[in-house]
Amino acid sequence: MRNRNVVSLLMLVLGMLCVLMLAHAQNAPEASEKGKEVYENSCAHCHGVEGRGDGSAAENLLPKPRDFTRGLYKIRSTESGQLPTDQDLFDIITEGMPGSSMPPWDTALSADDRWEVVAYIKTFYDGFKESETPPRAISLEDKIPYAEESVEIGKGLYVDLGCVECHGNVGRGDGTSAPTLTDEWGFQTWPANLAQGWNYRGGADTEDIFKRFIGGIAGSPMPAFEGDSFLHFGLTAEESKRLSELENKDEMTEAEEEESGKFYEKMDAAVDIALNRAEGMELSAAEQQTYDNAMKVVYEKSWHLANYVKSLTPEKRPESAIGNNVLRSQYVQGALPPMDDAAWETLQSGYFPVVGQVVIEPRQFNPTIDSVNVKSFYNDTEVAFLFTWDDRTQTIGDETDETTGKTLEDALAIQFPVKVPQGPTAPKPYFLWGGRLPVYLWHWKASAPEQVTELTAKGINNAEAQEAQGELQTQSIYKDGQYKLWVKRALKTDDKKDLQLEPGVFVPIAFSAWDGANGDVDTKRVMSSWYAFVLEPVPSSKRFIYPPLIAILSVGFLFGLRAFVQRRNSEEV
Amino acid sequence: MKRLSLFTICLIILVGSWVFLRFVVGGVISVPIPSSVIGMYMGLIIIAILVHISVEDSRFREFLRPVHETLIDDKRRIRRRVIAVLIPIFLLGYTYSIIAQRANPPGSPRDAHPSPPLELTYKDAVIGTMQDVVNPFRHYEKDDPEAFKAHVENGRRVYHQNCFPCHGDHLDGQGHFAPYLQPLPANFQDPGIIPNFQESFFFWRIAKGGPGLPAAGTPWDSAMPIWEDYLTKDEIWDVILFLSDYTGYQPRTFGEAH
Amino acid sequence: MKTYLLASLTVFLACCYVGNAFAADSDAGEMEMLVFPESYTAGSVSGGGTISGVVTFEGDVPEMKKLEITKDQAVCDATEKYDESVVVGEGNALKNTIVYLIDISKGKDFDKAAKLEIDQKGCQFNPHVQIVPVGVRITMLNNDKVNHNVHIFSSVNTPVNKQQTKNRRRMPLKAVKKAEGPVSVKCDIHGWMSAWIAYVPHPYFAVTNEKGEFTLEDVPAGTYKLGYWHEACGTNSGSPASVTVETGSTATQNFTLKLK
Repeated sequence: MRNRNVVSLLMLVLGMLCVLMLAHAQNAPEASEKGKEVYENSCAHCHGVEGRGDGSAAENLLPKPRDFTRGLYKIRSTESGQLPTDQDLFDIITEGMPGSSMPPWDTALSADDRWEVVAYIKTFYDGFKESETPPRAISLEDKIPYAEESVEIGKGLYVDLGCVECHGNVGRGDGTSAPTLTDEWGFQTWPANLAQGWNYRGGADTEDIFKRFIGGIAGSPMPAFEGDSFLHFGLTAEESKRLSELENKDEMTEAEEEESGKFYEKMDAAVDIALNRAEGMELSAAEQQTYDNAMKVVYEKSWHLANYVKSLTPEKRPESAIGNNVLRSQYVQGALPPMDDAAWETLQSGYFPVVGQVVIEPRQFNPTIDSVNVKSFYNDTEVAFLFTWDDRTQTIGDETDETTGKTLEDALAIQFPVKVPQGPTAPKPYFLWGGRLPVYLWHWKASAPEQVTELTAKGINNAEAQEAQGELQTQSIYKDGQYKLWVKRALKTDDKKDLQLEPGVFVPIAFSAWDGANGDVDTKRVMSSWYAFVLEPVPSSKRFIYPPLIAILSVGFLFGLRAFVQRRNSEEV
Repeated sequence: MKRLSLFTICLIILVGSWVFLRFVVGGVISVPIPSSVIGMYMGLIIIAILVHISVEDSRFREFLRPVHETLIDDKRRIRRRVIAVLIPIFLLGYTYSIIAQRANPPGSPRDAHPSPPLELTYKDAVIGTMQDVVNPFRHYEKDDPEAFKAHVENGRRVYHQNCFPCHGDHLDGQGHFAPYLQPLPANFQDPGIIPNFQESFFFWRIAKGGPGLPAAGTPWDSAMPIWEDYLTKDEIWDVILFLSDYTGYQPRTFGEAH
Repeated sequence: MKTYLLASLTVFLACCYVGNAFAADSDAGEMEMLVFPESYTAGSVSGGGTISGVVTFEGDVPEMKKLEITKDQAVCDATEKYDESVVVGEGNALKNTIVYLIDISKGKDFDKAAKLEIDQKGCQFNPHVQIVPVGVRITMLNNDKVNHNVHIFSSVNTPVNKQQTKNRRRMPLKAVKKAEGPVSVKCDIHGWMSAWIAYVPHPYFAVTNEKGEFTLEDVPAGTYKLGYWHEACGTNSGSPASVTVETGSTATQNFTLKLK
């Protein structure tokens, strides 16, 4: 009895706390001097003193910092064309925007300061003052849980709604319309690579995806599928299915024309209601009912689509190979598997994040390549690598850079030292293509996809193709926004400028990659720090000998000990 | 209640200390403690216990009594058999895990703040000795606050046009490029950074970048550019003013150093 | 007393007028935009006149660039498409120029029966320049059997960004509340597609045809500022033409435009 009292008291307190938090969550304080001060100290360098997105850092950034003067906010919990809630603004400041230069401010600014900033940001756009009603929120009530069938339906919608045009067949942001997109301010922008959930600006929960889809990403080319622009708005799921069948026919019969005509009439009526509502007209009860029914179908389909998008990305960013995670080449007996062999599926990829090269001019501040993934097998004489990396566009050297006149193309370079440093304190070559100590490179270019050139470099601008090109076998393919490159080389070569490989020896390895469509050429590229690579030695058979031996010895020792103690005891007695 | 035997108490102390170090100190109170350090503390505790039990013969015997009992007393037969099975199994697993463990790459010891050269230079021109050079604009802080503010603002601009992708909006070393650089960019909000070095040290680090480090600082790994190639002398001094103004930490001065 | 009142009222009105004139001047700074009256009252017009004329292009006629069709070639590349930013016809007639009255405050109502549509035929917007009254919906047509995406880059009104999927033949768009423009219309899916929409508060707007001709009908008698806008040649908002309309007659005003 007493327990129950305690429980209900606890629940009461928790409930009150929730209510208090919600109450607090809804509104920012009035704009104040404090908000201005925090903004100018922490935000203005990107977003500009007047909120125009033109701070001193903006020049080198893409996506550009948001211009607050137009009230267009990407990440909202509200319908298309609506302003964000205060909570939306607070959340984006708190959590930042992954994949962009907007960092999370959760530790750098106190919650109070963040609320002050929210209030201050709103002063840049009069619409916040003028709007009398609170923005309409997107309802998350009838969420459809993640399931195979739902993903399957979503996959169909992904094509039918035209997501594929920009985001590509499997979502890597490689759609045929991707290269020409610009945002509301005319700056180039790339569609999200849906296979990299860790770079989704507004988070990768199914709810986040759903909200971005329904509400759109204001200011970007991502449209809002708010309702009336949805496929067959106003029809039930069955009616929509039937109409799709009709629409997919090359020729319709007269009866079919008539049938589809009725569907179109029904759709037009529903769209009319939706537009009335959007224009601020009061709806009659019957109209409201029609609208709600239509929206129910839209929301249902959108959850399926969100589930499908969710299925495209791993739950988390793969663990980077920094630290103790090492690229380990697995030993196999006999021939090494070619590029499309199923054997590669058995290996886990080493994930090597890359960042823009900002050390030496020309620099790349806005990289489009996230990472290089690597797998490797070796046998007694050779080693094979499979490199994969996402690139939204295939650039094969038929375009030139407007400012430099240089040929643009996609490329990858894998970097090793010429000589493996001996011991932990021995110097490595400079990670940017060497210096005093040279590096040995494999350079692959999209214009010659079946060829890897061996280079020796003593600096990023000081690389030369080796005179003696070894026998490197190469295969490559570009498909659905992803490059695959397969390279095979002998473990030992006769060339002194080559790296010689030996099982069990840790070799530094690093990567450079170029996305031609992003203007990458020469030093303008993405690159990685030094990681480690090793031909994983075949596990020693000692592991089956020593442990049992030690176990047996320990048993013997215990018996011996007992006998010894017993003997001493009897002696003492 | 039966009194605990000395052996059990020692066992409890050992296990308790390990749990305390591993989870309470290295979790609740502070960041996890390296296992080598825990090992060192545990070694000290074991020595202390050994000293304690071996001071008197009687205490030593009392300590060993439960061990004796387990080994020979017929009443402890079950316990004896359980131990006779558990110990070999534990050793079997432990040795297997050690032998089968994959080798890891050798860690490279790195001095994050190696000693600077004796002379401070900018593009080969000597400015002065590392110890004597001061920030030429620092004196404005007292003499001309307006001019000082202008220099700080210029430093702010220089910082955000050049440094912030790695060192972060908040100067905390957490810029958007930072997570995948090795070594990590410096965190100027760390109280151990700015107050410990003279402004000339920062000038040296900025002007010469990663490649200017001595070998102890693993110059081949650092992604810090050689900023004297891009920034003027004044811009470097200004950005140093900004670093200390924004974080509120004062760099070490010559007077304090002695 | 009455005189004082009248006098002060006159002074007050004069001040307002001067203020307005200054305001109009500062607006004219935005040379790329149309200029709209402060307010407009619609009613019936009797005894109005007509303004008509021809807009011609002066200078070397730029060659129309053939558009590079990068996707959906089966539909979009069925016929050759050209960049429509400068379309010059016979006798240097300049198409797609908006000609309009800048300072009209009272006149006829919009033609309610007029169809307001932009077709996206063969992946090109038609017409290239469309006048849309404030408060009226425009309908986007798509008989292309490919997906289109209607992106209207408004800044005064909320921008429009809507997918028009391949079988959606008609897509009406929400009416806007404020006069604005012209604003750029793009299709994000087919980057080469380009059109312009002007959201206007009164019906005295015309777009020149292939022959460069325009006509503004039922203009109440009076003297007006006549403005033009062309996407490549700019506007004359800074120094508009002055036209006097007499009842029942046609006033002629021609324009000669150069590239800006």
